[in-house]
Parts: sequence; C-alpha cells; structure tokens
Amino acid sequence: MSAVWRTARAAVARRRVQTLLIGLVVLCCTATAVLALGLLDAATTPFDRAFEHQRGAHVVASFDAAKANPAALARTAARPGVQAAAGPFGQVVADFPRTTDIPEAEGPLTIAGRAGPGGPVDRVSVLYGRWARAPGEIVLNLPAADGPRRPQALGARLTAPGLPPLTVVGLASSMSRSADAWVTPAQMAALRPRAVQMLYRFEEAATGPELRAAMAALSDGLPAGALASAATHLALRQAFADLAAAYLPLLTVFGVLALLVAVLIVAGVVSGAVVSGLRHIGVLKALGFTPGQVVAVYLTMVSVPAAIGAALGAAAGAALAGPVLRAAFQGVDAGVAEIGFGGWVPGVCLAGMPLLVAAAALVPALRARRLSAAAAISAGSAPRPGRGLRVQRALGGARLPRPVSLGLGLPFARPGRTAMTMAAIVVGLTSVTLTTGLGVTMAAFAAADRPPAGQVGVRVGEAAFGENAPRLDDRRIEALLRSLPGVRQVTAKVFRQVRLAGQARRGDINFQRGDTSPLAAQVVQGRWFDGPGQIVAPPAFLSQRGLAVGDRITLLLNGRRAEARIVGRLMSGDARFAWASWDTLTALDPRASADTYEVRLAAGVDPRRYADAVRAADPGLHPSFSLETGTTAATVVGVAGVFTALLIAVAALGVFNTVLLTTRERRRELGVLKSIGMTPRQVTVMTVTSVAAQGAAGALIAIPAGMLAHRLIVDNVGIVEFPDAMKDVFQPSHLVALALAGVVIAVLGALAPACSAARLTVAAVLHAE
Amino acid sequence: MSEAEKSGQVLVDLAGVRKEYGQAVALDGVTLQIRAGEAAAVMGPSGCGKSTLLNMIAGLDRPTAGTVTVAGHDLGRLGESALALFRRRHIGMIFQFFNLIDDLPALDNVALAAQLTGTPARTARARALDLLGELGVAGRKDAYPATLSGGQRQRVGVARALMNRPALLLADEPTGALDSRSGEQVMDLLIDLNQIGQTLLIVTHDLELATRCAGRLIEFADGQVVGQGAAGAGR
Ligand SMILES: Nc1ncnc2c1ncn2[C@@H]1O[C@H](COP(=O)(O)OP(=O)(O)OP(=O)(O)O)[C@@H](O)[C@H]1O
Ligand SMILES: [Mg+2]
Repeated sequence: MSAVWRTARAAVARRRVQTLLIGLVVLCCTATAVLALGLLDAATTPFDRAFEHQRGAHVVASFDAAKANPAALARTAARPGVQAAAGPFGQVVADFPRTTDIPEAEGPLTIAGRAGPGGPVDRVSVLYGRWARAPGEIVLNLPAADGPRRPQALGARLTAPGLPPLTVVGLASSMSRSADAWVTPAQMAALRPRAVQMLYRFEEAATGPELRAAMAALSDGLPAGALASAATHLALRQAFADLAAAYLPLLTVFGVLALLVAVLIVAGVVSGAVVSGLRHIGVLKALGFTPGQVVAVYLTMVSVPAAIGAALGAAAGAALAGPVLRAAFQGVDAGVAEIGFGGWVPGVCLAGMPLLVAAAALVPALRARRLSAAAAISAGSAPRPGRGLRVQRALGGARLPRPVSLGLGLPFARPGRTAMTMAAIVVGLTSVTLTTGLGVTMAAFAAADRPPAGQVGVRVGEAAFGENAPRLDDRRIEALLRSLPGVRQVTAKVFRQVRLAGQARRGDINFQRGDTSPLAAQVVQGRWFDGPGQIVAPPAFLSQRGLAVGDRITLLLNGRRAEARIVGRLMSGDARFAWASWDTLTALDPRASADTYEVRLAAGVDPRRYADAVRAADPGLHPSFSLETGTTAATVVGVAGVFTALLIAVAALGVFNTVLLTTRERRRELGVLKSIGMTPRQVTVMTVTSVAAQGAAGALIAIPAGMLAHRLIVDNVGIVEFPDAMKDVFQPSHLVALALAGVVIAVLGALAPACSAARLTVAAVLHAE
Repeated sequence: MSEAEKSGQVLVDLAGVRKEYGQAVALDGVTLQIRAGEAAAVMGPSGCGKSTLLNMIAGLDRPTAGTVTVAGHDLGRLGESALALFRRRHIGMIFQFFNLIDDLPALDNVALAAQLTGTPARTARARALDLLGELGVAGRKDAYPATLSGGQRQRVGVARALMNRPALLLADEPTGALDSRSGEQVMDLLIDLNQIGQTLLIVTHDLELATRCAGRLIEFADGQVVGQGAAGAGR
C-alpha cells in the first residue's frame, strides 16, 4: 500500500494543474448539487414541518349553523377516523374596505371566534402582539410570516359595514389558513354567525379520496346540506410547492440540470485524467505494479483532490443556500414555515461526489487494468489509418499555411481524444446556452409581473377613508393627467365585481380605457380586447370556471346584463381577475367612473416630480410609484444567475481541463516540431487552430441543442404559458457570444500548455519526455 | 552549405561553452570547431553532456556562458523565431527515439520540414517521396509511425532531417534504439551522405559506428572535451 500511496502522491505532485482542476470542478459541482437538492427539498419539507408543528388541520370545514347545531358538530370529533378536532367556532365573512396600509386587512375576510391560538388542531402561531381577549379586538392572519415586520399594524382600527370597529391586537399565522382573522367567541356571538367552523385531523389524510371518504363518514349523522364547504391541506401544500409565482419549476429545472451537468463534467474530467495517464500506467505495470495496485494509484490520485473539493464545495453550497433560497421563495405565502433544507442535503453531496468521482475514475482505470503494459505504453500513440488518413492527406496538400492545416488535421488523427474534448465542449456549451436562455426568460417573466420603472398609479381619494375627494370628475382627471409634462400613456381603470351567468364564483373585472395596458404583451392565446364585449383572463380564472378562449358569457351587474366573449388568455395571474374594455362596463353601469389611473412616463422623467404635479393640481388625487424596478425580478434573476455562474464555471473548467490534458500530451510533439524549425508563433497558430476548430464544431452542435432544450422546457414546465417574446430569447449577439465563449474557453485551455511548450526550450521538452 | 563546404570553412565554432542545469554542470567550457564536409563523432560515458552539446549546436537550448556560432550565425544573438528559421535552413536532426509526429503518416512527416518553410505541398511531397525512395522506405509512405519498425522509423527520421538540405546533420545515438542490422543500414546511409559532402556530427556509444562513419573522434567526459583524434574512415 505504501508504494501505491507514494506513487499516487508523486503523480499528484507532478500534475498539479490537473489535480487543482479536479478539485475545483468537484468543488463547483458539489456547491451546485447542494443548492439544487436544497431547492428541491425546501420546496416541500418546510411546509410539512411547520404544518405538523402546528398540528395543522387536514380539513377546515364550514357548516351551516342553521342546519347543524353545535352539540352535534362537537360530537363529530368522536367519529371513527377522526384523530383530533377543534371547534365549533362561529364564523362570519365581512368585506373590509381599504382603511389602513395593511393588505391582509382588506377585502372579504373570513373571521372565526376563538378563545385562544392553541387547541388540539391548528395551533396558530402568534407572531406579533397577543390573542384577542375582549370584544372589539381582532387578530390578523399573516400568510407570510417572514415578510417585513409591521409593528404599526398593531393598534390599527378596522371598520366594515355591519361590524363594530375592531382594533388589531395581534398578528398570527395559521399553516391551515383556517381564517383570515380571529375575534373572541363573545365578539363572534355578537356578530350572529350563520356559519360554524370545525377543524379536523384524520388518521388517513394523504390523498383527496381519503379525505373525501373521511368527510363523508363524518357528515353522515348530520342533516343533509349541513356541510357548506371544506378546504383540504392538500390544496395548501400544492399552493406552497407551486410557489404561487410559477418560477419554482424553472428553478427546479435549473437545479436538476446543474446536477446533471456537474455529474457529466466530473466524469469527463476524471476519466480524462485516467486516459491521459495511460502511458504512466504502462510504465507502472512494467515496473511490476499489480493491476489492482494500478487501479488503486489512479483512484487515489483523483479521490484526494475530489474529497477536498467536495468538502469545500459542500461548505460553499450551504453558505450560498440561505440567500438563494430566500430569494427563490420570496413572494410565497410560507406561513411560519422556515425556508431551508435538511442536513441530509450537504451530507449526501459530501459523500456522493467523491463516490461519483471514484466511479467515474473506475471505468477507465479498470480498462487500464486489463490493458497489457506494452499496449498501455503505446496507448493513444497509434492512430489507425482510415478516414483520418484521407483527411490528413487532403489537408496536407491543401493551400493553407502548414500550421493551420496541421491544426485542422490533428482532431482527425485521434478520434477518441477528439471525442472527449468535443464532449466537454458540447456538454458545457449546451448547458450554458440553456441556462442563459432560461435566465433571460425568467427575468422577462419576473419583470412582467412588476410595474415598470416610470409608471405612476394615481388613485382617487375616497371620503369614506377620510380622504379628500377629487375636485375634478373622471374625464377631467384623465385629461389633467395627460396634460402634465412627461406623460407618454394614460390608462383609466376600475375594478368591479361582476356575476357571470350560470357561475357560482363572481369575477373581479378590471375595466379599462385610454392607452392599451402593457399587460397586453402577456396574452399567450388570442388577443387583447379591442372593443366592447371582449374579455381577457388569466388561465386560473378560466380553468376555475370551466371557460376557454372563444367562449361566450353573460355579465350581470346591478340588474343589467351584457354579452361578452373571451378573446384572450394571459400568461398567468390571479383566478379572481379578468380584464375588459370600458365600453363593456358602460353597458352595465352607464355612470361608472374610473378610480385608478395608470400613467406611463416618457423615459427619463422623474416620477416624483410628476406625482408632485398631480397632487398640486388636485389634492384629491393620490399618486404612488415605486422607484425600484421589481425586487422579484432581481431575485429571480439572482437565483438563476447563481446557477448559471456555477454552470459556466464548471463547463469552462471542464473544457479547459480537457484541452489542457490533450495539449499537454502533445508537448513532446511540439518539441519535435520546433526542432525541425517550427517557430513559436507557428506552434501557437497550430494549437489554437486545432482547438478553435473543435470549439467551433462543438458550438455548432451545442448551441442548437441548448436552444432546443430551452424551448422544450419553457413550453412544458410550470403553470405559466410564456408569450413568444419571452421564449425567443436568443438574440444573434447572444448566440455569437456563446459561440465565441466556447471557442475562447477551448483556446484558453490550449494556450497555457501550448505557450509553456512554446516558451520552454526544445531541449527541456524533449528531455522531460 | 555549398559555400562553406567548398572552402572547408569552419561551420561550427564553440568557444568556452558552459551549460548548467541548476547545480549540475552538463558542459564545462567546451571549445570545439567542425569544418564543412567533416564527419565527427562524439563519444563518452552516459551523462557526460553529449546530447547537451548537440542541443547547443542545433539552437535547441542556450548556453549558460560562451558562444556558439554555426554557419556564421552567433546563436546567442538569435531570438526564438530566428532560431527556428536557422534550424530550418541549416540543421537536420536525427534522434535516438526518432521523434516522429505520431499523428502524421511517414510521407507527411518528411514533407512537413519543407512545408514549414512555405514550400508548396506538391513540391514538398515529391521531394519527400524521392528521399523515402532513396532510403528504401517509399513503400511505407502512408504508414503512421506507430506501425513502422524501429529501422523504418529511423530512416523516415533521416529523410526528414535531410529534407531541407541542411548544412549540418546532427545525429544523437541514431542507432541506439535499433537492432544491429538496421543500425548498420543507417550507419551506411550516414557514410554515403558524408561521402557526397554532408557535414555530420554523430553522438554515439558505439565505437565501431564512430570509427566507420567519422573522420574525427571527439572524446567527452564530465562536460569537457578530453581528447580528439582522427578515426579510420571518413574523409
Ligand atoms: N533539461 C535538463 N534539465 C536538467 N538536467 C539536464 C537536462 N538535460 C541534461 N541534464 C543533465 O545534464 C547532464 C548531461 O546530460 P546529457 O543528456 O547531455 O548526457 P548524455 O551524455 O547525452 O548522456 P547519454 O549518453 O546517457 O544520453 C546530465 O547530468 C543530465 O542529468
Ligand atoms: Mg544523450
């Protein structure tokens, strides 16, 4: 064993660059793998952990108080299959107008009456403040616990028609989403709830059918129609994994891809190291090393740097994971789930990478084991005549400078070695093409969700909120906004809740007039509306109502009706919302007026100055704008960027390493060529031509392959349908840059050994061989 | 070549050449002259600096001290590129282990030397084929070095060295890796070449080769010339 160890150590010392490269590649790959697996793990397990910690409700059921009395409901807790139950809690839904800055306190809220956050099911976590103790107090549910702290929310007063004023005394988070807010049971009783809430945990709750069966068994003893609705934990879980915004699937693809490429490149680099050591292996055998010892030497040579690289990589990956995951899960209603991943992730990577490396080394090492010493010594130095010869002959006679034709011919002389280099180039460049493409698509997607810079929203003040009403009427406001300097476009809008004939769910339709909203660019099927009676909606709106583009619907509002047709489907969006033109609203409500105006400013116009001008012109107008161009865009691009950077590093190292190895093998030949009069310049020209040709050929394969893979992924992954503009991300300049990158990396990998060979005196090169 | 040869001028002139590799002294003040048309053999124990001497003369390495002048060029004054051009024009080298380009067939190995100087492929190949024919290996012109026997490889190596009609042919143990028959053939070849005026400097362990090929024996030990004398054969 000591002979093996000593030989391996000596070999490592002689191949410092190669050893360093193996270590670096394994480092980058391990970091990538930790991030990728971490992302996949984080997408599911934190929810489970937090949900179990709160003893989350498998079903949140709401019953008609008129049909089921509290005693009967309480008895359902004892029914077979029920593990635990909480309730009955009175439940009302109240529509809160916007009176505060708390988004969670706006719109229709489900309020439950509970004496405390604890209990057998749905142990709500109180994040700020305390639970409600007296009538007039309310606790709000925060769908995302790790959002910005909002201490000013405590003490806020909420008012809604038909309710006494309520003071916010606490902010809490329920993983079961059993309610949007809670009050004391006494306060609830005063509100005369017509619904009662029960929270259940079941023995069998893993699938939809199991849950349905459990609920059926449970409502058996209750009067028919008592159960009004039931929400399952499966939907919540799904929502979490789906990540509301649809880019997690893409991030997952990134992760899987990174993992795959990492594995391929590690395998390539390692087997390259072994193959290039064949002559050395032959000598070892000639010296009397047993085949087993030879394998051991080679495994040791690659495993030592691999183990060090894996350790550093796992540490780097774990360090990167925090910010990357936080960015990836931004905007997800995580409740109190802590975004993170299990300790097994770095553990598996730490153990797996060196194993993988050893496996990759084992294949060629075993081949070397079988090889006779003589064959090993001459391995790789016996090109077979054949097609290669014909190409060589043709090139040797071509009217090209000899160094150029020599360089072009080299790849043909050694198909095996050429295949190895090309494989590294193709894998690397394909993945870089794919990831940069995905990065651009995701950036475009994230950016589309955010108001672009230079957009000012102007809201009409409402007396009900204690604001000044504007002096001007709707049309005059629009004219005013258009007349102020720096304006490019103005769209006037109002949201109206409209009933759809034959549908239980209402829809919030945004009626618009003026300039076409930028949202029009996100239509993926059909088109944006261009006249009355036309509706554009996101996929969720349509699927939840069984609608499709082309379908006719009837809109009902205030006793009037209007016929409409769905003319377009958006890329993504909320299931409540749809869009239509102003004329459609006029048919339903002739006196409707806009309450919001979307103003897009010309490039370079300061939104602050515009907002000041608006306020000065009419104090009843409330302009708002955001100066940053979308944090989601930045973070998504950041996450994609981390993976892209890692992949580029891995790919570049892989190509660099392969070219380095093959060129280094050629050093003796370079020495010979110099001895017969090749100038250093000619040596460089030859080497660069050779790898540049391979780089260019690799680019020809890899770039279309990467583009195809990108198209397949954006067409099939996730719940988003990307508009063509977001799919056609490969600009000619982007492609040229990619091709150049491939060639440049290959050339860089060749230049280092070629230059050192060109710089070295011939005598030294020949002496060393 | 012809000019120098006609007058029997000094073709190679080493003055106080010293070469150190770190602590090791490979050449320790060598002063030596070789005239055009001469055939000289360098002999000496292993590691005494013979190959280093050839490398100095071919401009493959630079001396630590002293000057090397070949065909009127002070090699110390030439840059790397100029040295390459100098080698093309004036030097042919034959190696113990052939040093053919593995990836090129025999013919192209030979033609390459001329093509590097810009000779068109056709002309270069025609001359290469002639040379291979003269050396008796024309039949293997399309073979890759790995499939040739040692003797055949060395003949291809000689052909390559002669391709540019060098003023000086340097041979480092040309028969060292060959069996005695092949070695003899290569030896005869070198003698013939010298007979038609080729200046020759051979490094060898083989006393018979030295005495048969060379007109002058140069004895080397510890990086120094320790003796010189006329040998039997040669001119
Ligand atoms: N490139 C080099 N780097 C370091 N040392 C060298 C180098 N080339 C030669 N030497 C040393 O210089 C000395 C002379 O070497 P050289 O190859 O000239 O000997 P030689 O006479 O040709 O021997 P042999 O007959 O065995 O070929 C030796 O000690 C050798 O180790
Ligand atoms: Mg020697």
